[in-house]
Amino acid sequence: MESGLFSVSIDFETSHLFFPTIIHWILGGLFALILITKVAPFMVAVKRGERTLPIIGESRDNFRFFGTFALIAAYFYLMAVVGDLFPYTGYGFLFVSIAFVLLMSLLYLHEWTKKALVIVVINAVVAPTLAWFVLAKLFTITLP
Amino acid sequence: MEFLSVLDFTFFLLVGFGTLVGIIFGAIPGMTATMAVAVCLPLTYALGLNHGLALLLGLYVGGISGGMVPAVLLNIPGTPSSITTTFDGYPMARKGEGEKALRICVIASVIGGLISAAVLFLFAPLLADFSIKFSYVEKFLIILLALSVIASLSNSMLIGIFSGVIGVWLSLIGDYSISDGGNGHTRLMFDFMEPYLFEGFSLLPVLIGIFGISTILLEAEKGVKRDVAGQRIKIGKEGGFSLSIFKGSLTNLTRSSFIGTFVGMLPGVGGSAASVLAYTQEKNLARNSSQMGKGAPQGLIASESANNALTGGALIPLLSLGIPGDATTAVLIGAFTLQGIQVGPLFIPENHETWYVMMTALVLANFVMFFLMFFAIKYIAKVVMVPKHILYPIIVMMCVVGAYAINYGIMFDVWTLLIFGVLGYLIQKIGLEIAPLIIGFILGSQAEVYFVKSLESFGTYSVFFTKSPIAMVLWGLIAASVVFAIIMGIRSRARQKMELSQASGPHTVSGKHHGSNND
Amino acid sequence: MLLSKKTMMGVGSAGLIAALAMHSGIAMAQDAQMRGNIRVVIGSTSTGGDTYQNASIVVDRLAEHLGLNMKVDAVGASSAFRTLDRDSRGNTLMIFHDQSYLGHLYGVQGYDDIFEKYTIGPTIAINPGNAYLVAKDSPYETLDDIIEAVGNGETVRVAIQPGGVSEIGFSALKNAIAIEHPGQEDNLVAVNTGSQSDKNQQLFDGQADVINGSVQANEQYTRLPEDDQKAMRFVWLTARQGTIEQALEEGLGQTTREQLLEYVEPNVDVTMGEDENFTFDKEFFFLYNKEMDQGIVDQIDEALAAIYDEGSIQEAQLNAFFIPDFNPSEEASEYLQEKMTRYEEIISNIN
Repeated sequence: MESGLFSVSIDFETSHLFFPTIIHWILGGLFALILITKVAPFMVAVKRGERTLPIIGESRDNFRFFGTFALIAAYFYLMAVVGDLFPYTGYGFLFVSIAFVLLMSLLYLHEWTKKALVIVVINAVVAPTLAWFVLAKLFTITLP
Repeated sequence: MEFLSVLDFTFFLLVGFGTLVGIIFGAIPGMTATMAVAVCLPLTYALGLNHGLALLLGLYVGGISGGMVPAVLLNIPGTPSSITTTFDGYPMARKGEGEKALRICVIASVIGGLISAAVLFLFAPLLADFSIKFSYVEKFLIILLALSVIASLSNSMLIGIFSGVIGVWLSLIGDYSISDGGNGHTRLMFDFMEPYLFEGFSLLPVLIGIFGISTILLEAEKGVKRDVAGQRIKIGKEGGFSLSIFKGSLTNLTRSSFIGTFVGMLPGVGGSAASVLAYTQEKNLARNSSQMGKGAPQGLIASESANNALTGGALIPLLSLGIPGDATTAVLIGAFTLQGIQVGPLFIPENHETWYVMMTALVLANFVMFFLMFFAIKYIAKVVMVPKHILYPIIVMMCVVGAYAINYGIMFDVWTLLIFGVLGYLIQKIGLEIAPLIIGFILGSQAEVYFVKSLESFGTYSVFFTKSPIAMVLWGLIAASVVFAIIMGIRSRARQKMELSQASGPHTVSGKHHGSNND
Repeated sequence: MLLSKKTMMGVGSAGLIAALAMHSGIAMAQDAQMRGNIRVVIGSTSTGGDTYQNASIVVDRLAEHLGLNMKVDAVGASSAFRTLDRDSRGNTLMIFHDQSYLGHLYGVQGYDDIFEKYTIGPTIAINPGNAYLVAKDSPYETLDDIIEAVGNGETVRVAIQPGGVSEIGFSALKNAIAIEHPGQEDNLVAVNTGSQSDKNQQLFDGQADVINGSVQANEQYTRLPEDDQKAMRFVWLTARQGTIEQALEEGLGQTTREQLLEYVEPNVDVTMGEDENFTFDKEFFFLYNKEMDQGIVDQIDEALAAIYDEGSIQEAQLNAFFIPDFNPSEEASEYLQEKMTRYEEIISNIN
């Protein structure tokens, strides 16, 4: 084995930290560079009122944005809860998906016409059922 | 030829059926080729080896190809290896050229697939001997070369590299896996996360979360306007597709196919690295690559020919070393063991019949894929016309299925979708770049293993330079890639300055995803 | 008359069914039984590996015998333990092998003492393939050569995957050297690496002198001509002689059982001191949630006993180069615990 400038020995017990440490240094260095070259000028521009902060300073459809977020979170959570009542049948996925698809469609639907609603409801029942039938029944994929 | 007797009607039917099912799996966001092969594996018990292989190889080719559909139309890579397809495919779909983009992809795919099948057939044992010249050191350099794409891929090199390193960092979360020879300790997390994050975030949920869920969040923020996902689709003649697009792309096509085959054949590197590497090389070597990332056919050609070439490539080590070249072939190996057939260096000489059957199935699957896709594209491209309030809930649902099923039923993988959906949203908001981040994530953990293991074996950093002629060639390529990125950066900055003086307003990082971002 | 005969039969069979139903109803009242869909998680993420193969052979037959839906899911060790922890109803079962306690012995993060935390179910099969190999042109002809060389101060590097099944043979070898050549054991160096392909690669690169492998994965390599740089040679199979003797006479690939027997004890001798030889059979067994009802434990024991009595499962296992090895849950638990104690000694000796 060569010795000298480049030699290195890695202790197996701590080898899981070797590479992450290097990455931390690189990340730190790059972050400092970005602070100086990008963020600082940007903040100055914000102060002068030329630009707005991301996220906070933007307009947003709050109802749909947070609604989407809440729906997805509830969907994931309830799927596991309901699924646990019927172990490994995929019913958790099936039932909660129907509710989710229905609610999310309604959330995104702007004009509640009769025709649109019918399509939404049919879709909410058919799509999850089809997915469940093909995947859980035909291919016996484990679903929540 | 004895093997011809095996090729009965059922055989052809199974290849066709497999390819079709594979395409469907690949085309559904969240479902992958690997999953298609995995769920059909038990069927091969009943089918016997030859018929089973016909089905599985069809699924494999179909699944990899099908990944292009959501990548182009929805900006969600259907399989990890179609990530680079989104870079140019989605911008084209936004311009209403989804159908044209898909046609380009299909042709590139079939050529990539056939080239790699030919390489597999003619040179498998030879290449296997070559591939074992790649030890940890050379594999690390290959990964580094693929990572160097980050520099030229990003709008701002500094931000791009930073995003890439964040991606690498994210990939390191979890244990330093024993199955990679690590010590099994976890890092970069708190103790309470251990039950969930022991093995870190898995790739597919991260991918569909960061592309799929974050896109939906961004849309929700804008109120999910009533328009359909693609503004206006040009179909048929209007689509502007003609074979002349491929004029001048012969080098690209050949190069990318060979890169795909070659990367596929390196065990432990294969998969997504192939298309990333082919994309890099096209970006670096093409005469004019300034449009890449904004909807250039050449990017699609590079990406899709490489990822289909993966199929033949990944079968090389499987059939001539007994070692799977990527995730899908790792599942495929089950078909052999379940039938009591060993794969190893003597597989081809000892199982001539099976070998020919596999080659036939592989070539056939590529043709079937081509015809199925080429004529179905017209209809597939209309997916973007489905109203968003119908489309989006279904995408979320299918992403859930894909995430849950990829590791055979882990609920945390579903939560990963949301975590990375939100992360992807934030990242784009604060101006970091998604593509470099995801490339960093895909390649990060392999980079670690190969880097640390090289040093453990040789005890010196200098080994990366002196290990072998292959290493030096790779360094040459890496240097070229970096130098090129810098030149490109300077050039584009000059161009930007010119544009800036005409129309003021700074460029935004991922403007292609959401033009309304802080400018 | 005909009619009445039919009616009689009808009544009779109805009575029989009723009696059966009553009987099973009573049985259910006494003991919980498995019901609904059952998921069997395994400690490996590979669907091409030996754990999956073994699990699917057994689970398919078990499902048929019990008339239940059962599905094997390759979720990997950490997730499998966690999934099992959460379900005491008997809808989740686990199948894994010696790694489950060896991981704990080697102090690998994420492995608890299975005998404390879980109920040990029946053993089902042995994979006799755990092997150690050298390059075909290696100066070491036998394992004895290696022990001698290390005893004489030569450094021998062994590529293994740390923390379990792949390491136990290495530990035993080191222990044997410590006994025969005290103080020299540190010349046997572990090269910690990952998958089989990584281990092979270390041998091709000359970064390891010996590698851990398996009969299944490496048999073809041992039949390559010597001038092929990939050619390998078995030096040691860790299985018991009695285990290999049960394999089919054809052995695996083109290596016969007789040839394989050359590489097991007593032909290859890895001492544990006091005239005892080290052997290691990689055994597959069920693991249950500790709170799971004893009725289900018995139900599976009985079902498996019936399946193994019937006899066709053995054929399937042997054809896949596994050795049938059914022991009901109580015996299995005792046996495995004793097995663990022996390996614990080895590991503590060399540390």
